[in-house]
Amino acid sequence: MSDQKTNDTTYWKSLNELAKNKEYQKYAEREFPEDASELTDQVSRRSFLRVMGASIALAGFASCRKPMQKILPYSRQPEEQVLGVPNFYATSMPFQDTVAGLLIENSEGRPSKVEGNEQHPSTRGKTSIYHQAAILGMYDPDRSRNPQLAGEQVSYSDFAEFAASHFAETDRNILFISDASSSPTRHRLKTDIQSRFPNSQWVTHEPFSDDNRVEGTNLAFGQRLRTVNHFDEANIVVSFDDDFMTPSGHKNSVEAAWQFSMARNVNAVEDTMSRLYSIENSYSITGSMADHRLRLKSSEIEAMIFALAARLSQDLNGLDAYTDYSNSMSGHEMVETLAGELIANRSNTILTAGTGYSPAVHATISALNSALGNIGTTVTLHNLPFRDNVDNTTAFAEAVSQAQAGAFDTVVILGTNPVFTAAADLQFADAISNVETKIHLSEYVDETSRACDWHVNQAHFMEAWGDGYAYTGQRSIIQPQIAPLFEGVSDIELLHTILTGESGSGYDLVQNTWRNVLSGNFEREWERVLHDGIDDNSDGFSNASVSIQSGFASQIIPMLETSITDRIEITIKPDPTLFDGRYANNGWLQELPDPMTKITWDNVALMSPSTARSLGLPAERDFASDEVPMVRIDTGDGAIEIAAWVQPGHADDSITLYAGYGRNTIGRVADGVGVNIYPLRTTGAPYYRTADISAVDRMYEIACTQDHNSIEGRDMVRAATLDEYRENPNFSTYESVHGYEVPGIDAAERESDDYLAKGGPISLFDEQYGPDYQPQWGMAIDLNTCFGCGVCTIACQAENNIPVVGKREVSRRRIMHWIRTDRYYEGDEDNPGVYHQPVPCMHCELAPCEQVCPVAATVHSEDGMNQMTYNRCIGTRYCANNCPFKVRRFNFFNYSDEYLTTGDDPEIIQMAMNPEVTIRFRGVMEKCSYCVQRVNRAKIETRKATGSRKPEDGTVKTACQQACPANAISFGDLTDRNSVVSQHKMNERNYVMLEEINVRPRTSYLAKLRNPNPELS
Amino acid sequence: MSKTYEYVPEPALVKGNHDFSSINSLITDINLRPTPKGWYIAFGLSNLLLFVLLGSIAYLIWEGTGIWGLNQPVGWGWAIINFVWWVGIGHAGTLISAILFLFRQDWRTAINRFAEAMTIFAVMCAGIFPAIHVGRIWVIYWVFPIPNSMVMWPNFNSPLLWDVFAVSTYFTVSLLFWYVGLVPDFATLRDRIKSKVGKMVYGVAALGWRGSNRHWWNYEKAYMILAGLATPLVLSVHTIVSFDFAVSIIPGWHTTIFPPYFVAGAVFSGFAMVLTLMIICRKIYGLEDIMTVDHIEKMNLIILVTGSMVGFAYLMEFFIAWYSQVEYEKAIFIIRATGPYAWAYWIMISCNVISPQFFWSKKLRRNVTFTFIISIVVNIGMWFERFVITVTSLSTDYLPSSWGYFSPTIWDVLTYVGTFGLFFTFFLLFLRFMPMVAVAEIKGAMPQADPHNYDPETGDYSPQEIEIPEPNKESV
Amino acid sequence: MAQIFPKWTNEAPRRILIGAIIILNAIVFGVWYFFSPEFTNVGYAPEQPVPYSHQLHVGQLGMDCQYCHTQVEESQYANIPATQTCMNCHNQIATNSEKLAPVRESWDTNEPIEWVRVHMLPDYAYFNHSAHVNVGVGCESCHGRVDRMEVVYQAEPLSMGWCLDCHREPEKHVRPVDEVTTMGYQVENQLEVGRELVAKHNIKAPTYCQACHY
Repeated sequence: MSDQKTNDTTYWKSLNELAKNKEYQKYAEREFPEDASELTDQVSRRSFLRVMGASIALAGFASCRKPMQKILPYSRQPEEQVLGVPNFYATSMPFQDTVAGLLIENSEGRPSKVEGNEQHPSTRGKTSIYHQAAILGMYDPDRSRNPQLAGEQVSYSDFAEFAASHFAETDRNILFISDASSSPTRHRLKTDIQSRFPNSQWVTHEPFSDDNRVEGTNLAFGQRLRTVNHFDEANIVVSFDDDFMTPSGHKNSVEAAWQFSMARNVNAVEDTMSRLYSIENSYSITGSMADHRLRLKSSEIEAMIFALAARLSQDLNGLDAYTDYSNSMSGHEMVETLAGELIANRSNTILTAGTGYSPAVHATISALNSALGNIGTTVTLHNLPFRDNVDNTTAFAEAVSQAQAGAFDTVVILGTNPVFTAAADLQFADAISNVETKIHLSEYVDETSRACDWHVNQAHFMEAWGDGYAYTGQRSIIQPQIAPLFEGVSDIELLHTILTGESGSGYDLVQNTWRNVLSGNFEREWERVLHDGIDDNSDGFSNASVSIQSGFASQIIPMLETSITDRIEITIKPDPTLFDGRYANNGWLQELPDPMTKITWDNVALMSPSTARSLGLPAERDFASDEVPMVRIDTGDGAIEIAAWVQPGHADDSITLYAGYGRNTIGRVADGVGVNIYPLRTTGAPYYRTADISAVDRMYEIACTQDHNSIEGRDMVRAATLDEYRENPNFSTYESVHGYEVPGIDAAERESDDYLAKGGPISLFDEQYGPDYQPQWGMAIDLNTCFGCGVCTIACQAENNIPVVGKREVSRRRIMHWIRTDRYYEGDEDNPGVYHQPVPCMHCELAPCEQVCPVAATVHSEDGMNQMTYNRCIGTRYCANNCPFKVRRFNFFNYSDEYLTTGDDPEIIQMAMNPEVTIRFRGVMEKCSYCVQRVNRAKIETRKATGSRKPEDGTVKTACQQACPANAISFGDLTDRNSVVSQHKMNERNYVMLEEINVRPRTSYLAKLRNPNPELS
Repeated sequence: MSKTYEYVPEPALVKGNHDFSSINSLITDINLRPTPKGWYIAFGLSNLLLFVLLGSIAYLIWEGTGIWGLNQPVGWGWAIINFVWWVGIGHAGTLISAILFLFRQDWRTAINRFAEAMTIFAVMCAGIFPAIHVGRIWVIYWVFPIPNSMVMWPNFNSPLLWDVFAVSTYFTVSLLFWYVGLVPDFATLRDRIKSKVGKMVYGVAALGWRGSNRHWWNYEKAYMILAGLATPLVLSVHTIVSFDFAVSIIPGWHTTIFPPYFVAGAVFSGFAMVLTLMIICRKIYGLEDIMTVDHIEKMNLIILVTGSMVGFAYLMEFFIAWYSQVEYEKAIFIIRATGPYAWAYWIMISCNVISPQFFWSKKLRRNVTFTFIISIVVNIGMWFERFVITVTSLSTDYLPSSWGYFSPTIWDVLTYVGTFGLFFTFFLLFLRFMPMVAVAEIKGAMPQADPHNYDPETGDYSPQEIEIPEPNKESV
Repeated sequence: MAQIFPKWTNEAPRRILIGAIIILNAIVFGVWYFFSPEFTNVGYAPEQPVPYSHQLHVGQLGMDCQYCHTQVEESQYANIPATQTCMNCHNQIATNSEKLAPVRESWDTNEPIEWVRVHMLPDYAYFNHSAHVNVGVGCESCHGRVDRMEVVYQAEPLSMGWCLDCHREPEKHVRPVDEVTTMGYQVENQLEVGRELVAKHNIKAPTYCQACHY
């Protein structure tokens, strides 16, 4: 959009302004909200922080005397261990039946930070929030510390003894329930077990798996296959409620997001973008990237997929099953549009549906993809070497009912937590109570552990040997980074014990598997795979050759009837941050704002404004209070009461619920947070179903980091369509009121060496941006590729020892994150556009904060950074007040120190912290530092190596930049004309926020682009 | 042709036929006679509040600034509001003593003494807040330019630093000014008090004043010089306090009108506070003859003028916001009047702009009870002015993403209320042990001090009879 | 009327004035002298678990600093040597000396020796040895004449001001890189040599906060 348009478009953040509602005018009356009292508050906060140890940092305080210190040198100096120089070791993180390649930073022999593995296609050096948070997960003091027998502490040798005798009888009826895993070793042991225990049965349980997608391929092609979408190959992507860019929505989200942003990466007017159609019920971040978004109830989405198949069957072969089919969605304009687009871009499109939908839906999607000729080009299908050729979901359900009937004398549960997550109607806990011996392996003493007599504490993946296949089939080894903190054992070690009655070493187990896998000199190959983190002889799963199986029609047609009613539907999805609940005890993830709602520490019932009104709830929030109304949701099988939250762009008569909350006595973080919605989930309707909704006369406090106000037509975010951009490449920049162009935009300035210093109004300040021998750091954030996942926030938190402050403090607007992602709505409340904008410190060259600090605690560095010197800060908060971007964070309480005197063994937690970053004491200000610790290290190393102070481009990466799957963030030296960041800042789309107040931010943005279908606009 | 008068005298400043000795006793007997019960009760109450203050400060330092309602984006709350409010009140004293002195306004003599006292105590209350609002009070000395092993100087660009100097200078000069004025009266007390200890204490305080010609000569010179020094300070203090806001870039703060606007507001609230205290004292201590309704009327006129100036400033802010066409400026002023804090804004307008307008009527501005009420209303209004400036600007600034609502906690309130304890503790001590009216000075303003009022032959006191003529009806 | 004050009080004002001046000066001097790291920190010489004498090893035997502090050139820390390093010699020399008991014990039990840290920088100050020794800042410049120390003590204040003295005028202190470990290094024309070295190594010692505080 052009300059004027930038101002015309009404961005808005909460419905308050859009609806010009009463509330907004009305908190006039309220001077003191009920919760204003600190007295009561103290208690909650302290008791909270007392247990928040795991999420808070240590290294010494930004100002206090130190006692006598001891230095403990090694007795025998280990090789390759240089004090103060971190080592990086490759490993991979298992997630369901995939692994993702990671590099773990080890400081003085302890893992301290997770990064992606550049050589591994599953991450390409990038990470997801789950990867970043894993480090805190491992140092979680709440993890189970020892095996238990009927709640009594025992040792693993006790269990081994028991196993030796118990499993000596090989004719036992044993039920193995495991989480999904791609581990070849696990697979090997599993086959051994099945042969050793002929009466045993092995089922897999994952509350949110992609099994239905696999069953879909089975329906369509007669083979159970993994579907891999290559988003970088497609012109048109149609996502039916498939949130493939969120780790909770897709096992391979990092690669998917990377591919998708590659296909939409625009650096010049010639470049092209793929087009994304998103049809979904709630607003996902994938939906927020869509060029066209349609909101429908889940049942309608299902119907639309069938209707689309029917429509396309007129033009395409292989869809005969659908020819005489029609439903209420047939003839919907979106169906027509899609039909046109898909046919026009044949074999260059991707259709994908959310994993929650029935096999029939996925079969239809597969049929469509093959009919459109996408299979083999944009969509590939693969056999899974480790997967049983069964329908896991039904197999599990049957096994449970057999258990109910007393068919088993032993049940062994590996990792998964069915008591909490299994469908309500299975009554799992009740079922296994009919089993004599119950053994459970898990990281926490969780709901299932308490239902079993044996609990064995599981080792974290960073503590144990293992292996697995990436989503696209590359083999990797899981290499432990540290000896198990609590003597946990891995799943394969437990299986070994069951087989042999002895405790085995995971190392040997994995090596035995890989001896048959690796060719050539084993030791050398093994070393190589360990070092690279991937076996590059394994170039992914082989493509399965597929064709629609005969009899597909007869099978599918009965499945096509739809269940659209006019009642309100609930749709159950895994939580974007906690997934199925397995990450519930992770403070970083709990406090990471939900990408769309910006809610922390809770789950809510998401609904559209009109649905809220129809339920008699206010469609707008009271600006001055954190209290929101609650609703009661009754499905007949179960009922819950939960806070109602209005989500603009949500489908009407539909309510979305996130699973994973409401856990109890798991850990000090997870307990009592949010509402458990699994009771609403049944085998019959695992994804969506109708329910009775009624407003409850109760309010509930929600800690939302950002439900403030409309953006008042301000141009914080600037956007245009691809065509508008091509007409007017400079749309995002214009003469500011001060009449000067943004640094890095104006051509003349661009050519000159000191373009940053040039232009601008007369300033009272010294315009020197540092001596020429120093680099000048800057950052550019591409709003076109950023999709708001929030991994930058977690990565920053991990890198910079940022404390977790807890729900109450968040609701008091005291969250400490150094980089936040602002979310703006644009357009009408029913289907608004969404823009994500990450906001770190802007490192203004004429920083307002610097000038007002009475003690010069924040000043400018020679390399152009806005420095915050904690140990000089006296905490007047004047700098934060004077910051136009409000990026400064104040330690109102002693967040970081609280746990030092509390928590049972803080030293565990302390190991998670970055020794390179000072812990901030109570009363000091802090903010994004452009990861100065990384910058300084690089500068010193470069200086030692070359004598120059300017590290090569790419040698310094900020934590946020390194983690971002979409490559949205670039950082580097602005005096280097060829650095990526310089290139970005020279791009026409580059702009800075608030240029008219002439603070000259070093952090700039590249304007957002959309690629809508010209026929629709 | 109309009738003209060559000499229309002012009504006498001191009512009732007092002579020097009766004035002496009228004022100093208050300090000499045994302490009344009421005083003890009042003193006890203010001590109670004082302990509330000390308690909440102790808890603040122990627990951290988090006990206040502060948040992102509102980093300054009640602490700064109270600071500005108390400093503003601290303005009347020096203005009355210095500026009115230089303009030879003799009516000041009735009120300057405890106006100055009030100033000093108010500035003490104000001074507390910048100190305790910081996160790490134990290193607050870093704001002073003291050579140190870090070779770090404070940042002289920072308005907060200017505050430190402005306020401390103002306090020092006001204190000196007050004390110099007190010297002759201490001497009077020394001579009239019976007890040995009293003589000692007042004697030391009186610095051996004997009322010699040379003493008077030095005294007058010193007083004149201090008045000259204090006059610019009256303007400078609140100008510099206003820089805390004006120098920043936050919409609603970044305003060039602040210095004059703040000074006017300060005088406004200062005079209101003087009136509040004065009306109570003259009643309790029976000083109606000295603090007459004429005085009250004169002060009400000043309140009317300064109040209207403040109102004008409010209008100008709006005008400039519109005239500048800066969208953030425009937005903040509209939000103030209509948004989350409209209630505070309209309290401010009604108390500061509307209430003083009643003083256009001579009847009302000579009505003691009414004046008393207005004087309190005005100070409420002035507190809300500072609230509106500080909080609304921060809570809704540039990026709507970080807009946030501020609500105070019990500790914000207790700390503020506590400062009244500090103020009244000192003020009551002052009333008890020091002459609350400048005896020496008020004598100088009485007819007895005028040589023309003595019969040249006998030297007896015989003031000329001046009948104040009725204005000529038909000529007017 | 009777005199209130005795005669001597005439002198009082003058006496009080003089007294005040003296006391104020005393206070200023006291703070300046007694509160400075120069007074509080310099000379800190804690007792070590092993009475290791640098005087003997460096001064008399002439061992080089880097024989034990091996990583000083590559790491931000000048590592305290592993027990191994001691044992290299002491499994032949003084094998059963009483003083060395803790060392042997550490070697046998594989438990570290708990040395007491002498030079303590605050946690918020990051000092990188390698960045200094590689451009010719001598060990001696910060640690003093270790070769003469029976027991290691803190020789310099290590205050921020003291750091800045050198960062502002490196030419007064730098020495050729191969002289870094030399004890008692001196040249009469230090300033000229210093300037050459500063130019040669392109030394621009940073004086902005983040060079050390982050």
